[in-house]
Amino acid sequence: MIFKPMRKFVLSAGMLFLALIFIMPGSSEAADIGNCLMCHKYPGLSRVDEKGEFRLLFVNESIFNNSVHAKVKCEGCHPDIKKIPHEPAKKVDCLTQCHIIEPASEKKFSHKDVATYLAGSVHAKTEKDGQPKKYSEDIPTCKNCHDNPLYRPLSFFKRVRPGISEAALGRCRVCHKSDEFIYRFYNHVTTRLHKIRNPRNIAETCGRCHDNPEIVARHDLGTRAVFSYGETFHGKAAYFLSERIPDCLDCHVKPGESVHQMLTYKNPNSITHINNKGRICGNMDCHPKATPQMANYKVHTEFNREQSPFEYYFQVFFITLTGGTLLPLMGIMFLDLFRRLFPNAALKRSRKSDEEKT
Amino acid sequence: MKKRPDIKIKNGKKYFFKFTPLQRAQHITIASCVIVLALTGMPLKFHDAAWAQPVYALFGGIKVAPVVHKIAGTVLLLLFVFHLIYIVYSIFADLIIPLKRKKQLRVSTVVKSLVTHPIMPSFKDVKDIIDLLKYLLFFTNKRPGGDKFTWKEKFDYWAPFWGIVIMVSTGLVMWQKEVVTRFLPGEVINLALIAHSDEALLAALFLFIWHFYNVHFSTSVFPMGTVFLTGYLPEHLMVEEHYDYYQKVMKAAGLEDEMLAPDGSPGKVTEKTPGATIEISVSDLPRVS
Repeated sequence: MIFKPMRKFVLSAGMLFLALIFIMPGSSEAADIGNCLMCHKYPGLSRVDEKGEFRLLFVNESIFNNSVHAKVKCEGCHPDIKKIPHEPAKKVDCLTQCHIIEPASEKKFSHKDVATYLAGSVHAKTEKDGQPKKYSEDIPTCKNCHDNPLYRPLSFFKRVRPGISEAALGRCRVCHKSDEFIYRFYNHVTTRLHKIRNPRNIAETCGRCHDNPEIVARHDLGTRAVFSYGETFHGKAAYFLSERIPDCLDCHVKPGESVHQMLTYKNPNSITHINNKGRICGNMDCHPKATPQMANYKVHTEFNREQSPFEYYFQVFFITLTGGTLLPLMGIMFLDLFRRLFPNAALKRSRKSDEEKT
Repeated sequence: MKKRPDIKIKNGKKYFFKFTPLQRAQHITIASCVIVLALTGMPLKFHDAAWAQPVYALFGGIKVAPVVHKIAGTVLLLLFVFHLIYIVYSIFADLIIPLKRKKQLRVSTVVKSLVTHPIMPSFKDVKDIIDLLKYLLFFTNKRPGGDKFTWKEKFDYWAPFWGIVIMVSTGLVMWQKEVVTRFLPGEVINLALIAHSDEALLAALFLFIWHFYNVHFSTSVFPMGTVFLTGYLPEHLMVEEHYDYYQKVMKAAGLEDEMLAPDGSPGKVTEKTPGATIEISVSDLPRVS
């Protein structure tokens, strides 16, 4: 039995407690300065835009916090949003200067250099004279290839495995006091030490354009690159999620350069130019004993009459051999099965006396 | 080498000599290799098929399965080299030395005995195929009288013989591509891939359908032929597939009266040797040791 004043106290304390739970932001939400997650944390938050496209506006905070842009706040990429509620957001411009300070130059960070590199690459939207390329609308922009990827940390402590090495972090903590900084730094560095995407994922990304028959034809690309890569051992191993196998970028990007600096194979500075191609396979991590001859052929081509006639007819020979061997044998096999149903039936029966003579 | 009896009679049933233990060991080795090679190779050929990933995972996935494939391929290569030595040895032991003993060692006699060797294709095979088609298409109820090795068995021997040459050589090209491309243009890797992949499918279909049907799944032998284990062929299969040779063996062994008819019906005398194991050797039969 509780006394009346006591009951009043318990009731009000309970209400205060409940109110605190609702009012107090979660620890992770504290980083959300603009309080965008107040609305965007709801998984169902979505709308159909003016073009009739369904847009999911939900932001999964835990996924975002493990992504490479975790430290960039919402307004870093969406500077047009100043108040809540807001108008439909403008398209994100990846070249925006965000509020992150790049530690080496101590200037505000931006991806602008990527655009400069891209403009000089095979994926430039304009020709050297500044005129737009033919079918420049096919040329990819940042978001055609990139999303907001998750960190892919590696542990090198005793052996290499995916994930974070707590043993290694122990050393960081001696000098660096913020665990949040340590984790992000560790994630950033070890993710950058290898590839953030596996070969299959990269091939699929390139394949969005390079396997599109219309784009291949419009730009005279020679082959459906990812399809033909998929027919090689490299492509098949990539399909089985091998991380060691070369993907598109391992062979098509010059060592020491970025994917954004890729050049056409016709350019003498390109790694895929006939004079440089020989260096690709002989990479220390791949086939160190390879001679230039190993790369100097169509390493991934569709075996059809247009792209590789010799390989095509070679394949036709084997298909003919297979059909020519198996079809008659299978025919005999099925006739044999059928014959066994009627072992004694025959148009002309040989008599036992005939058999004895033979 | 100890001569094995040509006919073994066990519990009144006759079994006819077919394969020596060494031949059986070679067969089991090649069969095991081919099964492992197919299981670790086909998932790559058909990488996007639903079964490819689980089958590949059985052999350790992309990290281990290629190693397993190379080990099995190497064993197959060693077996092939061994088999070539074995052939040369057999030619010496079974053809050249006997000819020398008979003082008939001449190029013509050696060539003749090689050409007429039981495993070599002959005109009789063509006749047997025509006879088989006549039988299968109900023109006659008489099966072709096969010799010691029927055309099917010769096919089963020579097709994998060619197959191994193709598979091993193209496999080596892809495995040792750095070495090969020192002497040959890179295109050979593409050609090797096509040949390896297509010939593998041909071999796998040939062996696992045609060969398995003939030696295991045909209604006469189902559920399993045992000659690859015992080395001896049961009489009913001998009659069905090798009637000409069966007649030769039975006559040479003096068992003419016990000979079954081509349809398997009993001969003039049914043998009276229940329970006992009798071994009969016939000296003048062509043999493969």
